[in-house]
Amino acid sequence: MRKLDTLGTVHETDVLIIGSGIAGLAAAITTKERSSAARVLVVDKNFSGWAGQANKGAGMFMFLGPDDPVDRFLDYHTRKIGMFLEDQQLLGEFAAESQATIEKLDSWCRTFCRNADGSLAADTFKPGLPWHLAAAEHDTQMKVQRHAKRLGVEFLDKTMVVDVLKQDGRAAGAIGFSLLDGSCHLFQARAVILATGGQNYRILSMWSAARGDGIAAAYRAGAQMRNAEFGSFMQLVHKRSKEPLLGAEDALYNAKGEFLSTWRRELEPDVDPMAAAVWYREMLAGNGPLFTHNEENWLLQHTTKTHAEKGAYGDVAPGPWDRPKAEAFWGKLRSKTAAVDGLDAVSEVFPALSGELSPVKVDHRMETTVPGLYAVGNTATSGSAMAGAVPASPGRVRGKALTSSTWMGIRAGAAVGGYVTERPVGLPDADKAAVLKEEIFAPLQRAPGLQPIELVREVQAAVAPVGYSIYKHRERMEEALGLVLAARDRIPELAAGDPHHLAAVHEARAMVLCAEMFYRASLAREESRGWHLREDYPQRDDAAWLKWMMLEDREGQMHLSTEDVPVRDYPFRP
Amino acid sequence: MNTIDIDFEACNGCKICYKACFVDVIRWDESAKRPVVAYPEDCVQCNLCELHCPVGAINVTVDWDKPFPSVLEHGRRYPS
Ligand code: SF4
Ligand code: SF4
Repeated sequence: MRKLDTLGTVHETDVLIIGSGIAGLAAAITTKERSSAARVLVVDKNFSGWAGQANKGAGMFMFLGPDDPVDRFLDYHTRKIGMFLEDQQLLGEFAAESQATIEKLDSWCRTFCRNADGSLAADTFKPGLPWHLAAAEHDTQMKVQRHAKRLGVEFLDKTMVVDVLKQDGRAAGAIGFSLLDGSCHLFQARAVILATGGQNYRILSMWSAARGDGIAAAYRAGAQMRNAEFGSFMQLVHKRSKEPLLGAEDALYNAKGEFLSTWRRELEPDVDPMAAAVWYREMLAGNGPLFTHNEENWLLQHTTKTHAEKGAYGDVAPGPWDRPKAEAFWGKLRSKTAAVDGLDAVSEVFPALSGELSPVKVDHRMETTVPGLYAVGNTATSGSAMAGAVPASPGRVRGKALTSSTWMGIRAGAAVGGYVTERPVGLPDADKAAVLKEEIFAPLQRAPGLQPIELVREVQAAVAPVGYSIYKHRERMEEALGLVLAARDRIPELAAGDPHHLAAVHEARAMVLCAEMFYRASLAREESRGWHLREDYPQRDDAAWLKWMMLEDREGQMHLSTEDVPVRDYPFRP
Repeated sequence: MNTIDIDFEACNGCKICYKACFVDVIRWDESAKRPVVAYPEDCVQCNLCELHCPVGAINVTVDWDKPFPSVLEHGRRYPS
């Protein structure tokens, strides 16, 4: 029988965590807290501490404070955000534990802004919303990573994991390669946690590191997906810099000077896909381009003075949060974007997809349908069903990504930490690993061939158009799916000259797979709900569609099925 | 393509920029003890390398005209 170590360097551990963003680190630390004897190995494509999205955004964490009852949050969430597709039990548990999650995280890093009395310095995103925001400094990720190291968590950087290895149907390890020297690395573990982020299609720059690696690995390992049709997050962005302009949807005008944001009369928690639909219709009617009037953008006026992006438009005033590092980050970015966007009263904007597809289905312990395989953070936010009919965080709750990713990591760490050292270490099937190894490295033999960036652009052309992915219609989605399948047919041509491009090949494969999931699920859901907005089925259909859509691989075909949302068992019903 | 300029005279060899880059643009030359801008075409102007260089040796100049997928025209790879 073939042995694993004939294929490459073998790492044996108890818990293998793939991805060192905030979710992966929270899982690592919690595993160690539960079981100090457990060996925990975190693998990242780049460098832990710097990886992930926590140090690329606003650093805001949503939570329910003492004056934010869970019931009020759930009631609001089901009506305005998740549209009754939430797993209300899970969402309720998250909400109830959100503040404790932040306190736990802060005990690892001490980077949260606090009031003189020691309480979290809290603010609202918009007055009246049933949750609050806390803020952490920009080095949170780094400090959490240092804490993990102190606890004995081990790290392997610059290594891409491509596939999960199994033993008798249970996750038992993984296989990948070094980005530096291209050598093959294999992992034997008692439990595997995927924490690689979602799929953002490399469109918006700051979020382009979320390339769906873990989603693809889970799918190929046989895991079920859920809620893939909601992976269509978009924001209105500046025409030149393509940087998001928060709140632009509240003050939209067409080229004729007509006010368009009439659908946003009542307090909305955040951006919604109608902004893209309005843009699309106006553009087709010849009324474009669209502009936003910055002085009428409530959020912009408010956040420039009180939130992370203060100073963004040159208007610096003290807010409740004092975070010099975050301000240096935003100041640097904004000084560069302002040079091309200007700081005018009126800005031209357009909708740009970031996707945030996060469909790996997990249970309340964050375990996927493959035993021993867990998924946390934006790999599984929609798949957990805690968010309902919205993409991964934020969905429509700014600041939710960081809190919920941390919380999911803690849940998974608690689950595996409770049993992992008692299980036998995984002995992955070495013959299957050999086949995967061949597949993983084959593109190196093909150069010259199809460059991965070429395939990425083909997928982007199939997902970026608003009429395909955000304002959906059967005919347009069939056309888009056709483009995705044409890209899929070209995967065997992908070539790589070095390990950097080999990583890009496997990222491109993941992108194709994610786009296929998104369109297959979107075509099947014949209604509009939350972020799933269909021109041909504009109404929400509770009689037919209080259902979750599942996807899974069945002998090479993407198989769809549905499951009723147990809404009768939940406190809030349509 | 973005341009990542590094002042190798000023550089102290601390490796921070190499570690900070989350999309594998910057690599490390072990013999020269200096960073290498290996894949500038993948730079997404997060600015973390520039921001965290302790001696201010890095400057990222953004190409705002990098290819961006069309958001209106269906199936088109590049905007007109
Ligand atoms: S961060 Fe600056 S000083 Fe450090 S290696 Fe990079 S260029 Fe040199
Ligand atoms: S700006 Fe960001 S993406 Fe570009 S080289 Fe520096 S660290 Fe890498």
